[in-house]
Amino acid sequence: MATLWVVGEVGTDGSLARISAEVATLARTLAQAAGGGSEAAGIVVAADPGPVADGLAGFLPRVVAIADPAAAGHAWSTIAAERVAAVVGDDADAFVFLGAGPDGRDLAGTLAALTGRGVLVNATGAAWDGRLSVEMSAFGGKLITTSGFTGGGGIVTVRPGTVTAEPAAAAGTVERRDAGEPLALPAVAIVEQIEEAGAAAPIEEARVIVAGGRGVGGVEGFELVGELAAALGGAVGATRAAVDSGWIPYSQQIGQTGKIVKPELYLALGISGAIQHKVGMQTASTIVAVNRDPDAPIAEFADLLVVGDLFEVGRALLVALRGRSG
Amino acid sequence: MVSTPQSAQRLTDDQVLLRDTLRQLADERIAPRAADIDRSGEFPEDIRQLLAQQDVLALPFPAEHGGIGGDLLTVCLAIEQIARACTTSSLILAVQDLGSLPLRLGGSAEQLARWVPDLAAGRRLICFGLTEPEAGSDAAALRTTAVRDGDDYVLNGTKRFITNGSVAELVTVFAVTDREASRHRRLSCFIVEVPTEGFRVARVEHKMGIRGSPTAELEFRDVRVPAANRIGEEGDGWSLAMRTFERSRPGIAAQAVGIAQGALEAATAYARDRKQFGQRIGDFQMIGAMLADMDAQTEAARQLLYAACEIIEGGAPDAARWAAIAKLVAGDTAMKVTTDAVQVFGGYGYVDEFPVERMMRDAKITQLYEGTQQIQRLVIARALLGPARE
Amino acid sequence: MHIVVLTKPVPDPAAAAERLGPDLRLDRAASPAVVNGNDEYALEAALKLTEAHGGEVSLLTMAPATGADTMRKALAMGAARGVLVTDPALAGSCVRTTVEVLSAALRDLTFDLVFAGFDTSDGNAGVVAAGVAAKLGLPYLSNAAKIEPDPDGGKVRVRRITPTGYDLLEAPMPALVVCTQVLGEPRYPSLKGIMSARSKEIATRSLADLGLDAAAVGGAAATTEVLESRKPPARGATRVVRGSADEGAAEIVSFLESRRVI
Repeated sequence: MATLWVVGEVGTDGSLARISAEVATLARTLAQAAGGGSEAAGIVVAADPGPVADGLAGFLPRVVAIADPAAAGHAWSTIAAERVAAVVGDDADAFVFLGAGPDGRDLAGTLAALTGRGVLVNATGAAWDGRLSVEMSAFGGKLITTSGFTGGGGIVTVRPGTVTAEPAAAAGTVERRDAGEPLALPAVAIVEQIEEAGAAAPIEEARVIVAGGRGVGGVEGFELVGELAAALGGAVGATRAAVDSGWIPYSQQIGQTGKIVKPELYLALGISGAIQHKVGMQTASTIVAVNRDPDAPIAEFADLLVVGDLFEVGRALLVALRGRSG
Repeated sequence: MVSTPQSAQRLTDDQVLLRDTLRQLADERIAPRAADIDRSGEFPEDIRQLLAQQDVLALPFPAEHGGIGGDLLTVCLAIEQIARACTTSSLILAVQDLGSLPLRLGGSAEQLARWVPDLAAGRRLICFGLTEPEAGSDAAALRTTAVRDGDDYVLNGTKRFITNGSVAELVTVFAVTDREASRHRRLSCFIVEVPTEGFRVARVEHKMGIRGSPTAELEFRDVRVPAANRIGEEGDGWSLAMRTFERSRPGIAAQAVGIAQGALEAATAYARDRKQFGQRIGDFQMIGAMLADMDAQTEAARQLLYAACEIIEGGAPDAARWAAIAKLVAGDTAMKVTTDAVQVFGGYGYVDEFPVERMMRDAKITQLYEGTQQIQRLVIARALLGPARE
Repeated sequence: MHIVVLTKPVPDPAAAAERLGPDLRLDRAASPAVVNGNDEYALEAALKLTEAHGGEVSLLTMAPATGADTMRKALAMGAARGVLVTDPALAGSCVRTTVEVLSAALRDLTFDLVFAGFDTSDGNAGVVAAGVAAKLGLPYLSNAAKIEPDPDGGKVRVRRITPTGYDLLEAPMPALVVCTQVLGEPRYPSLKGIMSARSKEIATRSLADLGLDAAAVGGAAATTEVLESRKPPARGATRVVRGSADEGAAEIVSFLESRRVI
């Protein structure tokens, strides 16, 4: 009988983060497969956990909402890790699931040290067949491994897009708790929060990514990339070459020295597909490339390659896409 | 990957790390500039700064004056890695080495202290002024004169094909100090600090290759040089030049090996990616055979060079023969390998979108300067046969 | 100021030869090892700070004995010394053990800051640093785009990247900071750096030196295990389309529709 805890993270608009909805859906499915009274449950730690807890309760039968005033004005992950550790306690068969973003991973590492549990990161799938097995991608996508915990429970961080979020049939209960003991770990003060215009939603979460490479040629060229991304409801990505040339910020960089993404659609414009970029996106469900060169490396692993000028094809595609929804 | 660490049997751990660091530096910072340097024909001051900053220019110089005291093999490793990416850039180090060899071989303690720190730091460049319009292969036929006048010498003459002649602050000049002396005692060697009264860069050549490297004609009209700038004694010039070549020719061999390696890698990558008739062209035997020969020849030239460096550094009596053999083999290899590389690329090899046409143009100079291939053969023949008998 | 940088030797990603051994653990002999790329960014940040504020950078690595060779390049970049924790019993260690070992080694050192790279190319975990901070009770500042220590005031300010911009964090030193690539490209080792690296000290520590029990570390004590591995499914043949731009666009649209992407 296992308990699969899901730590709810807050999205940019203050409600439940989409990754947490996905992770909760996954945990629910696993609890069902585990059977024997196993359950999935949520934990939310925040100064005011209400909104996120209510959101998470749409996906899980019960949610523990911990109000910790320290969470306001301090870095979240270490505070949340201590509170999560207290909730999970010594239950040997407890699993804790988190999103694989920066906050989730920070929490996972802290929690691992606090509880002595094992941790598996960046899961791209999970299943229950007598025990929890977690699928991960290794060596830049060359290998897919299935791993498990040697003890009973463990900590898992889950990549965006691993499952589609599906609300539960009925909303779950929210149990409010106070923070409890004072924190043992030092809380790090947030002196200021700075918003940057153009700071995009993390591209790891995007369902569709339209990416530009060296062929885009400049900042102006990326306007077309942005328009196509918008038309497809997706995010803008880039190769290192484009970022190094200053055409787009580093936060959009995909590849060995940037982000690893697994969107449903990766539309690559003017990207050769060299290995350093390939490892960042090769597990996308569908890869479409537009390139002048039919022998570019991306031809090896794209599903569809349109040989042509990326601006001409791109503009025609934009017209076609807008024409469909119009 | 074509080149593996396993070819490094003779190399120390330091040399391996140095080679790998320079390879990375060359790939990331120099290779992207190579095409532009060739097209613009401009001396790459940014690359010179980069090399100075990374202590690459300090390699040949003694440690007590701010150098690294790298041995011949180490200097050659550096030249080879840079040349893989850009021949012009490799010349910056090669000529800093060549130009300063007479000073390092025959200079007094005071002279070393005076000039080496700036050279090692890359603050000043030095060039090698031996060749003249009428004295190329026949180096003993120099006409530039240095006439003693009080505490100075007065230099008159013209030097031609001087690499870095228009950007160097120091010129190592060979001039006749005693017309009556025997052939090999006529010349002396001087370091001239420029600009100076009477010195002029008369022209800079437009060349087939190494186009970013300024090849200059230098005019000396009554240029006064302090006697304290003379390297060694009067009449030491010829022997300084010959001893210089023993160490500078391997540098050019290293350059040639680097060019060949760069061409081989470009051709191999192309043969892997390019598909015709439904398969990659590298799988066709005619292409595969070319690449195999290119690799074998490049590796042979490389291993010969490394062996020569160790032997020369060890003070072998036939150092001149080793230097000549290394340079002869490497130069011819570079020309053959780059020509074949263009062939592998087919039509694409002829256009400047790909680097091999530049590499082929760059390779040719390694058969011409630092002593033509014919001069190298003379040196080797003389070593075999002994001096010419009447 | 003394900054310790956690570094890890990993299979050279450029060699692309990483694989698992028959015991389903990373086969470290399969390809040459290099310093983990992201650790170099952390090292570079540390070097810049000690150059500006005075002080030294030390390296801390848990690795097989060959880890000393890989430390060489990091020393050549300018770190002053290295500490290598090595012991045959450590082979197959999981995150928990790695955290224990690194924390134990850090307890023997005095430092103002510990820097860690964002993640490693051979495990992508990126969670060890948070664990070490928790074990040692150090303030934990992650995702750093900028690091500004104030040695006189005994505190450090870090710009942490967030989805909407930055959080400006502040904590007393000693503290642990996880670095990102935004901090700046790592330098190439200068040649003088390479030459002097040889004479820099690499102190080795065994489990006994750290007071750790061999039974509590390594594969035997691992909290996770790889059950099986396989190659990803082949993608299938690429469809190549030539023609006018309009034809290409139409092909893309119908392809996306067939794949239910749009």
